[in-house]
Amino acid sequence: MQTTAIEVHDLQKTYGGQPVLDGVTFAVGEREIFGIAGRNGAGKTTTVEILQGLRGRDGGRVEVLGLDPARDRKRLRRLLGSQLQTSALPDRLRVGETLRLFARLAGDRVDWRALAAEWRLEDLLGKPFGTLSGGQRQRLFLALTMVNEPRLVFLDELTQGLDPVARRETWQLIERARDRGTTVVLVTHDMDEAERLCDRVAVLHDGRLVTCGRPVELVTATGTVRVRFSVPTASGVEGLARIPGVGEVAYVGGTAHVTAAPCAVVPLAGELARRSLAPADFTVIRPSLQDAVVSLLNGDQP
Amino acid sequence: MTGLLALTPTELRLLARDWTVLVFAFVFPPLVMLILAGVFGTQATVGFFWQNPEHYYVAASIGVPVIALTLVGLPVALAGYRERGVLRRLEASGVTPVQVIAAQAMVTTALVVIAVATVLAVALPTYGIPHVAHPAQIVAGLTAGTLTLVLLGVALGLAAPSARAAQAIGLLAFFPLYLLGGGGPPKGAMTGVMHQVADAIPSAIPGIVDPWLGLSGLGTQLAVLAGWAAVALAAITWLARRPAAV
Repeated sequence: MQTTAIEVHDLQKTYGGQPVLDGVTFAVGEREIFGIAGRNGAGKTTTVEILQGLRGRDGGRVEVLGLDPARDRKRLRRLLGSQLQTSALPDRLRVGETLRLFARLAGDRVDWRALAAEWRLEDLLGKPFGTLSGGQRQRLFLALTMVNEPRLVFLDELTQGLDPVARRETWQLIERARDRGTTVVLVTHDMDEAERLCDRVAVLHDGRLVTCGRPVELVTATGTVRVRFSVPTASGVEGLARIPGVGEVAYVGGTAHVTAAPCAVVPLAGELARRSLAPADFTVIRPSLQDAVVSLLNGDQP
Repeated sequence: MTGLLALTPTELRLLARDWTVLVFAFVFPPLVMLILAGVFGTQATVGFFWQNPEHYYVAASIGVPVIALTLVGLPVALAGYRERGVLRRLEASGVTPVQVIAAQAMVTTALVVIAVATVLAVALPTYGIPHVAHPAQIVAGLTAGTLTLVLLGVALGLAAPSARAAQAIGLLAFFPLYLLGGGGPPKGAMTGVMHQVADAIPSAIPGIVDPWLGLSGLGTQLAVLAGWAAVALAAITWLARRPAAV
């Protein structure tokens, strides 16, 4: 049975009297890649900072690896790796010096040279942080999160501003971290990233948890599918809108465009077969997680 | 403690790579000493309290790197760390902001010692080291001046919104403390109002010059420095509690 790495119940936080987190509740299993998504100001960064003990909470219960971050901050630090949203290193600090410093701070639990080799930083050891590319910096940050062999890492908008190649490379590194047995909490705006990496995603909006589940569940629960197929005449699509779950039906230039609930796809195909229409190009287009989340945040979903 | 021990050598290395700080701390003070002592020569006048100007500027130049390192080097480094999230990154690894500030203050103090030695090393073969009237008082004056200015530097580093702002404010503070402190024109040459201002500012220079040349006791100067140190401590306490402090 999967054990729980994080348990958050009714988390509350206000800044200057304004609630920024209001009753947030979720749990993260060990070895899970758990995404936290939402618009700017939704409360994502505040949530992960509270989970790491970097900020206090105003209410609710939080348990991270069996510890309360507000009370057991020091003990928790030894178990966590962290990449914060807005953090950097001094420009003149070299990669080798950085790894050595952070390894020392973590009690020399890992050999920093081995870590450099593992994260392909060996050729960069003498380079100052300020001269590193975005991808190289992220590789260094990821290596630093692993410097204490953490059971749980927090990665806050790790791939923001990276080019597509560096982003994909970073994704592989995150998956590698999980494969080593580390639980990963990933704060991201990027729904491609969440869909590709995360086992589950929590969506925050105005400090409240809107939904939490596997990406495919979020898409299924909150999205609709689009179905496209060729029909010889417009009469072929007449009456399709009466099938339960089918929404808009349009006929443009010999092609039918249908918006439908996922559960309506099979009845729709059955109806076409009943009409002796068997379009070879019958295509179901699943919405992306981004479509689903945007739709959810815009309040388009039931 | 591990954090402080690990961080201090790193901070020293980083500051040693900052050319602005190195020039201000190690090149500017001996250069100014060589020029000013050379310009005013050895003729004692009332402006120099009837002291040999060469001796005056050797003693006064000891205080210059103290002001430069504490009000330009330290705040820029600290404000830069806050601005770029280095403090938060280190905090996430178990190093508290207090430890980072302590490491920076220790490194600044170590560099002050090296910079003072540099000034004396340049003075020795050129104008010579003047006779020290009250050695213990010089140690007290230098220590009090350095501590007060380190505290003011930390307060400035916590208050400034960015490293550039810290540099601008630090430079604005540096020149009055240097010039009115007696690093440029001697206090004896200043008019009444400027003399009063000079007596009220936390410059490290009078606390070194006066006991070195046997001009006056340290009492008033120490009281002024203690007052500024108290203000700086109060400011640090208040600034460190702000959410924007880290």
